[in-house]
Amino acid sequence: MLLYIHIPFCETKCHYCAFNSYVDKFDIAEHYFRAMEKQLEFELKRFNVQKNSISSVFIGGGTPSSVDAKLYKNIFRQIEPFLVEDAEITTEANPNSTTKQWIEKMMELGVNRISFGVQSFNNDKLLFLGRTHDAIKAQDVISFAHQVGIKNISLDLLYGLVLDTPSLLEKDLDIAFSLPINHLSAYALTIEKNTPFAKRKKIVNSTLELAQIVVDGVQKRGFYQYEISNFGTYKSRHNLGYWQYKNYIGIGSGAVGFLDNKRFYPSKNPNKYIENPLQIKTEQLTLQDQHIEKIFLGLRSEVGIKKEMLTQEEQQKVALLIDEKKLTCKDKTLFNNNYFLSDEIVLFITN
Amino acid sequence: MQKNIRNFSIIAHIDHGKSTLADRLIQECGAVSAREMTAQMMDTMDIEKERGITIKAQSVRLTYVKDGEPYILNLIDTPGHVDFSYEVSRSLASSDGALLVVDASQGVEAQTIANVYIAIEHNLEIIPVINKIDLPAAEPERVKEEIEHTIGLDCSHAIDVSAKSGIGIRELLDAIVERIPAPVGDSKAPTKALIYDSWFDNYLGALALVRVYDGEIKKGQEIYVMGTKKKHEVLNLMYPHPLVLQKTPVLRTGEVGIVILGLKNVGDVKVGDTITDNRHKTATPIGGFKEVKQFVFAGIYPIETDRFEELRDALDKLKLNDASISYEPETSVALGFGFRVGFLGLLHMEVIKERLEREFDLDLIATAPTVTYKVHKTDGTILDIQNPSQLPPINEMQEIQEPYVKATVITPTDFLGNIITLLNNKRGIQQKMDYLSVNRVLLEYAIPLNEIVMDFYDKLKSMSKGYASFDYEPIGYREGDLVKLDILVAGEVVDALSIIVPRVSAQTKGRDFVKAMKEIVPRQLFEVAIQASIGNKVIARETVKSMGKNVTAKCYGGDITRKRKLLEKQKEGKKRMKSIGKVQLPQEAFLTVLKMD
Ligand SMILES: Nc1nc2c(ncn2[C@@H]2O[C@H](COP(=O)(O)OP(=O)(O)O)[C@@H](O)[C@H]2O)c(=O)[nH]1
Ligand SMILES: C[S@@+](CC[C@H](N)C(=O)[O-])C[C@H]1O[C@@H](n2cnc3c(N)ncnc32)[C@H](O)[C@@H]1O
Ligand code: SF4
Ligand SMILES: [Mg+2]
Repeated sequence: MLLYIHIPFCETKCHYCAFNSYVDKFDIAEHYFRAMEKQLEFELKRFNVQKNSISSVFIGGGTPSSVDAKLYKNIFRQIEPFLVEDAEITTEANPNSTTKQWIEKMMELGVNRISFGVQSFNNDKLLFLGRTHDAIKAQDVISFAHQVGIKNISLDLLYGLVLDTPSLLEKDLDIAFSLPINHLSAYALTIEKNTPFAKRKKIVNSTLELAQIVVDGVQKRGFYQYEISNFGTYKSRHNLGYWQYKNYIGIGSGAVGFLDNKRFYPSKNPNKYIENPLQIKTEQLTLQDQHIEKIFLGLRSEVGIKKEMLTQEEQQKVALLIDEKKLTCKDKTLFNNNYFLSDEIVLFITN
Repeated sequence: MQKNIRNFSIIAHIDHGKSTLADRLIQECGAVSAREMTAQMMDTMDIEKERGITIKAQSVRLTYVKDGEPYILNLIDTPGHVDFSYEVSRSLASSDGALLVVDASQGVEAQTIANVYIAIEHNLEIIPVINKIDLPAAEPERVKEEIEHTIGLDCSHAIDVSAKSGIGIRELLDAIVERIPAPVGDSKAPTKALIYDSWFDNYLGALALVRVYDGEIKKGQEIYVMGTKKKHEVLNLMYPHPLVLQKTPVLRTGEVGIVILGLKNVGDVKVGDTITDNRHKTATPIGGFKEVKQFVFAGIYPIETDRFEELRDALDKLKLNDASISYEPETSVALGFGFRVGFLGLLHMEVIKERLEREFDLDLIATAPTVTYKVHKTDGTILDIQNPSQLPPINEMQEIQEPYVKATVITPTDFLGNIITLLNNKRGIQQKMDYLSVNRVLLEYAIPLNEIVMDFYDKLKSMSKGYASFDYEPIGYREGDLVKLDILVAGEVVDALSIIVPRVSAQTKGRDFVKAMKEIVPRQLFEVAIQASIGNKVIARETVKSMGKNVTAKCYGGDITRKRKLLEKQKEGKKRMKSIGKVQLPQEAFLTVLKMD
């Protein structure tokens, strides 16, 4: 079982970001955490969570590092009995707001993995993205985390902007790998509706060339790619869990939960959420929905897809793809040889 | 009263103002209030409004009072484009007169001539109407001379009008009453009425638009359709009007109206057929009604192969609305089950495909248009070939003959050189060149129909800045040195892409074809070879490189539904593509031939 906790607050809003977060709602933070505790209590029952069964907790956002660490205390107390011995407990953190004390306190609560939203080590690019930290700050924060004793440190990079060049990206990777990290996520910029970038032109450069530089560069420097955007010396349990189609509890405004054939959506409006954290929309997934989801999740990661779950017609298409060396079949499981083609392959198989 | 009825059509070259003139006549007769009036209101179909052209002839019944005496005017607005000349001849078959509209700033054009000849054939009273005299460039006198010179029509009583500003409309209405003869016909004789249009209405079923020649049609009457030999009961009768149909208990001799028979079977009300009374039958049906002849044929296939029956149903219904299409089921290795549909021309084909998709919610593939070839086989038999993939093997053919037309082009002399080059490139043979005035020339060429059904009209228009006009009529078959050009996609011949071309230009056509295909076929998971071949010999090849990337490398967290929806959207887009083996071809790929130079 996985647990996701959403913190819908940010100090500023980045130009590309459509995640559910607000810059003007810090005053309701305490109420918000009380509401999350209520929802958590409810979900633990709904998911029938047993002792020793939660293998991963992920605090994401928004910006988890923008609120006082002590606010998380109750939640950790609530989940304590259900965690497995060596649970992976991750928090996202933004370089600009993360302090040594905050890291220390989160560690005391049980956090053992931090994912830093670095995006780049190029100050012009950071400014362009609307980030408020600079390259030095990001490097410092990662060093703190290491000094304090966080074992698993990851960072996020963002690529695919018009201002990206091969040398800029190589430099980003060089700096990233000079730091004490053992995991990295590299995301290609997507233009999201209702973001400042959506109103502007000439922002994205989605060429294969740039993407290839990043993916090859990370692997060349020693990390293993286990999903289209994720690399490390180990695999994050949380990330992997999504692609393995595991159940997950989603706590907070804008979080998503998943149980067998249902997805749960608490209110995206934090004020409404506080009013009633149990007012949760349910989406019923059809067999067809689940079928295609398993296929695309399996193909964008090393999880692969079980051949037997495919229909006769799909298997015929798969045979073609194996012939063309787009897929590999091992132990009755199909693996994608080129993650960059995942969506196209899904469309080919399921059309 | 029969002597107060006037039945007439408005004919003209495209854009000379027929529909606008119809608006003015409607308005002047008060059939539509000022508030309800829209521009070109007889163009009721969406496609007509969007393209600003008339596709279907439309009728309206008007009342005009002259010297205290009320007259019934039945007006038919007709289309001007070459493709729709059948609509014109249908309309004229039910009229007693015609208004020949000529644009005072343009003069006689190719369809002016073509339409006048149809009117003369039907022995109609023709009133020349010189339109757009409000324009500074209007030269009504020169235009009248031109009409007299080219058509030999007396213009001393021509009427000058402006359909836009309303000048001359009263005079025109008076002339219609005075000069167009009242319908002749025996009101006591058994019912005799011509079906000159029919269409399908979702509420009322199949409708027939008729002109009553003898006797009358009454509500409740049992009628007999002479061609199909079927009897029906008249459920209702109406007078035509672009906005509201008006009910009537009876249609009398000389009148025009809509007969509602409540038929579901769309084949039962055939245009050109004669309606009579079931008990007192008229002796002979109305003759002289030209059967429509299709010039251009193309395969029409549903993208989703299981929607073949829906397509058949749609064609059945559309056929009632547009009697000028023909269709027969056919199969293609690449496309499955579909129909070989016959059209009057390329614009007609475009319009029909668009109407099928819009009005019946279908996604269709159209193959390259072709003409009917006559193949003389070595065993002495003769085949009509309307689908290139059905051409027999070379060793079984003695000769292929292709249809020729007489093409008439009228152009300002400025463009003469370019137009002659175009006609030569299209294998045309000059037969006549006639100066209508110092700066306008009429050309007549014998030319293979196949050359003009493709992109001839568009080319002519663009090289003459829209000034040249064009019309054609069939003149029979001639031998051609022709070969079949096959297209291979990923090594397989795609039968639906084959075309028949002159041997001399086969090499170039093959090269152009694969080049154009390369632009149309999107990158796929695999490299796709596109080849052109004649017999089994490959003469040209292009390659569509394989795709590099299609993925969103993004952080979705738990919101997997969102990702699924994005994929489903992409999937929806791909649905409009046709899978041929492992390759997916967009709909346009099958019309590549129209995109070549
Ligand atoms: N200036 C002027 N324009 C006109 C007149 N009659 C029609 N038009 C314009 O000519 C164009 C073609 O008219 P339309 O009635 O659609 O022609 P149709 O193709 O013969 O039916 C339209 O833009 C009309 O507004 C006229 O008397 N004067
Ligand atoms: C859930 S966000 C929040 C993390 C944290 N607030 C931060 O920005 O540092 C996690 C990551 O998603 C990525 N991301 C956000 N919006 C994106 C977009 N429009 N396109 C691609 N990646 C995006 C960024 O790399 C970001 O670090
Ligand atoms: S990228 Fe991170 S910091 Fe920026 S607005 Fe989004 S959630 Fe907030
Ligand atoms: Mg018109």
